[in-house]
Amino acid sequence: MKRFVLTWVFVLGFVVSAWAMPQPQEQIEGMINSVLSVLQQDELTAEEKKSQVSGRVQGFLNIASMSERTLGLYWQGATEEQRQHFSDLFVKLLEGTYLNRIDDYSGGTVQYLKQRVKGNKAIIDTKFVSEDLEIPVQYKMIYENDSWQVFDMVIEGVSMIRNYRSSYGEIIRKDGLDGLLALMEQKVFAMQGESPTQ
Amino acid sequence: MLRFFTSLILLLAFTFVAGPLQAVELAATDVPTVIIPAGQQNDQFDEDFADDFDEDFADEGSFDEILIADPLEGFNRGIFWVNDKLYFYLVKPVAKGYRFIVPRPARVSVGNFFSNLLTPIRAANALLQLKFTDFGTEIYRFIVNSTIGIAGLFDPATSLAGVEKVEEDFGQTLGYYGAGHGFYLVLPVLGPSSLRDTTGGLVDTVLDPLWYADLATMEYLGVNMFKVTNSLSLDKDTYESIVRDSLDPYLFVRAAYAQRRAAQVGKVDYSILTIDGSFFNENNLNPFKWLGM
Repeated sequence: MKRFVLTWVFVLGFVVSAWAMPQPQEQIEGMINSVLSVLQQDELTAEEKKSQVSGRVQGFLNIASMSERTLGLYWQGATEEQRQHFSDLFVKLLEGTYLNRIDDYSGGTVQYLKQRVKGNKAIIDTKFVSEDLEIPVQYKMIYENDSWQVFDMVIEGVSMIRNYRSSYGEIIRKDGLDGLLALMEQKVFAMQGESPTQ
Repeated sequence: MLRFFTSLILLLAFTFVAGPLQAVELAATDVPTVIIPAGQQNDQFDEDFADDFDEDFADEGSFDEILIADPLEGFNRGIFWVNDKLYFYLVKPVAKGYRFIVPRPARVSVGNFFSNLLTPIRAANALLQLKFTDFGTEIYRFIVNSTIGIAGLFDPATSLAGVEKVEEDFGQTLGYYGAGHGFYLVLPVLGPSSLRDTTGGLVDTVLDPLWYADLATMEYLGVNMFKVTNSLSLDKDTYESIVRDSLDPYLFVRAAYAQRRAAQVGKVDYSILTIDGSFFNENNLNPFKWLGM
């Protein structure tokens, strides 16, 4: 409680300076609203929804930063060609993974809890609320090329990028970067077999 | 009958006044924005946020990320494989059949009932970690849900008062006092765990009321299987999508487990208690809504 009151005192003090900057949270709200507006159109087929969502979300993501952070240590040692190859496959994998879950959506809204900005980084705390579950989702953003872009999503304390990095790192240590790329290619191929639109 | 209604009204009044007080105060009209200017860290409060930030972006550097030690990987992968087969060929089909037969509200209620029964574990561990507010929350929830919520079948504490369950267990208590995971362990049937959390789980059974319900071992196991089946029947194929989408499901589950537990122990506080719109809205006043129906 005390913490909360302090937050407000603090907020009031900084609210003016905050408005002078572009708002990362507005970006997130824009992204989420545009995705929800697609999902809520019952007349669209699952495939139509997927392709529309995919088109809308990509502009909000910083793919370069996501790829770099996922490879971590191994990004430095990779050739330009490998980096490009990885980024391409990684985007396809993310698409396949998250677009496949679109069918699971059956209503729900997003509450925006808190936004924190420090330099060119921002953390936005949100909560997805539907009838029977609440999932805290945190977006980590970076300010680049005059806009705020998402580079990580933390769901119930589990960072998506850290999860990928930890798994991919292990695979690279065993099979090398090329081994990882081959595995990713197989996966993407399998996913495309399931949904022909991609 | 009259007595029943009187006590119901009294309890209702209690719920309205005591529980949500906090929530109503916190119901913010706008989302708080916090800007942290670089280099300004005098204030304790400021420091908290700065620490949060540093921690949140700590994974920035380019280093090998080992989230949890796994010296028994071969053994663990074996158990993981067995669990996977068990899941797809036994547990999940049973859960599906059960889902088909039993309507959703009933399954939600069964879940609520078991969860309410395990209050002693959560309350005791909150207390052990000196989290008195959380302890109070669990006691409050137990009283409300056992009475208005009809022996825990419904969860009016959440749906009516917006007071949410606090997940605590002895593994987290050990973590709170500085114990690390030790190493990763995949348990038969139960799935991902660690040396610390397996120990914690064993200690927690001491507080599990079912343990004292004078059940034969098989009955006890049966009840627990039922509990698992019920919770799986409410799940939206999470495990299936992990298996389908990740390059190596074993690694994915292990990383997610390590991160999730770290977050629980570190208690990243995501939930500022807020209630959408007016407190006296349909959601809060319609008894069917707050009984979760």
